[in-house]
Amino acid sequence: MNCVEFERVLLEGEQTPEQQAHLNSCSACSNLLADLQLISNQAKSLLAADEPSPAVWNALESRLRREGIIRPGESAHPSFGDLFWRWRTAWLVPVAAAFVLVGVVRLHHPAPAGDNAPIAKQSVATPPVTAAVSSDDQQLLKTVASRPPAQRARYRANLDDANAFIRDAQDAIRNDPNDAYRQQMLINAYEQKQMLYQLAVDNVSEQ
Amino acid sequence: MCTRDCAAKLITVVALAGVAFGAGQVRKDLHFKVGKRPMISINNPYGPVVVRAGAAHQVVVTAILHSDKVELDQSKSHNRIDIVSHLLSGADQNNGIVEYEIQVPSDANVTLHSDTGRIHAEKLHGDVTVAGSEGPIDVTDCGGGHVHVRTLNGNVSLNNVHGHIEIMSMGGDVLMNQVTGTLVQVNSNSGKIRYAGDFGDEGEYDFTSHTGDIEAIAPALASIDVLARSDQGRVDSDFSLEPKHTPFYTKGGSAFAGTLGKAASSVKLFSFSGKIHLKKRQN
Amino acid sequence: MTDAKRLKGDKLTEAEAIERAKLGDAEAFHALYDLHRRRVYSLCLRMTGNTASAEDLTQEAFLQLFRKIGTFRGESAFSTWLHRMSVNVVLMQLRKKNLPVVPLEETMEGDEEGTVRKEPGAPDERLAGSIDRLQLQRAVDELPPGYRTIFVLHDVEGYEHNEIAEMVGCSIGNSKSQLHKARLKLRELLRMNRAEKAGKR
Repeated sequence: MNCVEFERVLLEGEQTPEQQAHLNSCSACSNLLADLQLISNQAKSLLAADEPSPAVWNALESRLRREGIIRPGESAHPSFGDLFWRWRTAWLVPVAAAFVLVGVVRLHHPAPAGDNAPIAKQSVATPPVTAAVSSDDQQLLKTVASRPPAQRARYRANLDDANAFIRDAQDAIRNDPNDAYRQQMLINAYEQKQMLYQLAVDNVSEQ
Repeated sequence: MCTRDCAAKLITVVALAGVAFGAGQVRKDLHFKVGKRPMISINNPYGPVVVRAGAAHQVVVTAILHSDKVELDQSKSHNRIDIVSHLLSGADQNNGIVEYEIQVPSDANVTLHSDTGRIHAEKLHGDVTVAGSEGPIDVTDCGGGHVHVRTLNGNVSLNNVHGHIEIMSMGGDVLMNQVTGTLVQVNSNSGKIRYAGDFGDEGEYDFTSHTGDIEAIAPALASIDVLARSDQGRVDSDFSLEPKHTPFYTKGGSAFAGTLGKAASSVKLFSFSGKIHLKKRQN
Repeated sequence: MTDAKRLKGDKLTEAEAIERAKLGDAEAFHALYDLHRRRVYSLCLRMTGNTASAEDLTQEAFLQLFRKIGTFRGESAFSTWLHRMSVNVVLMQLRKKNLPVVPLEETMEGDEEGTVRKEPGAPDERLAGSIDRLQLQRAVDELPPGYRTIFVLHDVEGYEHNEIAEMVGCSIGNSKSQLHKARLKLRELLRMNRAEKAGKR
């Protein structure tokens, strides 16, 4: 087998004894084969290697809305996906997703209300209190622990505000789970908390 | 298809030597050549970021670094430029400041971030994505793309902005003047929401807050289908609305619902305990 | 909505997203987009070598997919469906621009000298070590469009020659020979690139 024949057989991808014998004796063909295999193997690194700009989704979403493929009734509130996926949120993924999902679960499986009577008594908007902190919130506070004190205090205050909103929205929806306004309030409340987490995480790499 | 020359010329960088600017301050000038719809991302923890439309196919960056505790990292890939103010050991909110003034093509898509500084975007037609914390954010004369703003406590101001707009704020006030689009959405916690405009473009306008007051000023001939509700706060309208049949009315709280004109745009004003006022513009 | 299931693995999330997308749910569309955007965009970018075209084609591929999502029955994996559609969208674009999708039929029989003999000066030199991803990316961008298509579909995306032949409309033999030529050309480009860098030192 000479080099030309070797190369022709190479196309077929078979490993014949003649090929092997030629490889053992011909450094040029041996180098060629090694190089081509290297190129072929490295090609996998180009798979899904690139990220389109946010403009692609934005333009796509606009088209889908215009064509009625996204239906207004199904998207009356901002998609948590838009905010959620736009920035890298490694550890945040299960936590933040759980927030919004918990909000949605509670929409459909709220704590049982006494009856469907009008609300006899309405609670005042919950003032932000420095309440006991959940483990997820503790994680957030740890994330910002190395920031200057004033920044840490602001994150804590915003966290309290976000939790207050969630509590108010949960309380309200228990009385009337089918109320669209209260459903939207609850989702908005969770999305605010999600934003807080995202901003805290986004800034981690800069410190 | 990009030839090798095309790829090489697509983005070139000329970094001029730093020139001493103020005591300890250094100025850097960067110049990039870009193609259509470039993507520019600026990540600046401390300090202002001002982005305006400039000449086509080029990005001009002027950065003033306040000390040697911060350095400017830049990277480019295809049509994308990333600039990051990299804080070194010992950096803080003062010595870590970098002031950016950037000119980009008007069709650029920009992503801007600063914790403490002012963020300003002007005369852009691409997508504008802003994340802030304490500093004010203003977007002026932008249209045609998506505008996404997130802030914790910085005030947000939009003037003459059109397109698909989403704003989220915890405590920062959101002020909108002549803002229209297919979707204009504001989600605030305690920040006030104030809108003065036409509610045009047959769009969807959703303003919601936890405790922040909501004020919407519309012209007498507005064409809107409006729902407003607050569980705890007062709700007022200067308009006599055409009533509409809706299951929207609730068992508690204050609310109104109705239409004006041909009801071309949908307007929702929701707050948990903030006051809501739909005002008529005084011409 | 069975929310408990959502917290389990990705497959259920995609399946749910598909069902919700059929109902016009914006969140669901975005979730599907995010699951697959890199793969689709990278394919378009590799095959066109141009970010603006790649972004337009990415948008078009997803748009065509989402228009037809109501007809998806799950008989093949969603991603397979999407990627086929992406390849078709790109190939159609290349054809519209009269760019060669695959070079004219050539076989190795006509190429008597073979490859190795074309490099008399340095038969023993190899691309030692690993290849930098960026270098490979640039080299792929410089390939003639027809070679690039086959290389991307086979070595990057993992399609078999019979699948490629069906998609681009050539014979299996042509697909194999074009792939070989593409790899040879890449080898040449990568070696030239290294030689240039070495010369600059």
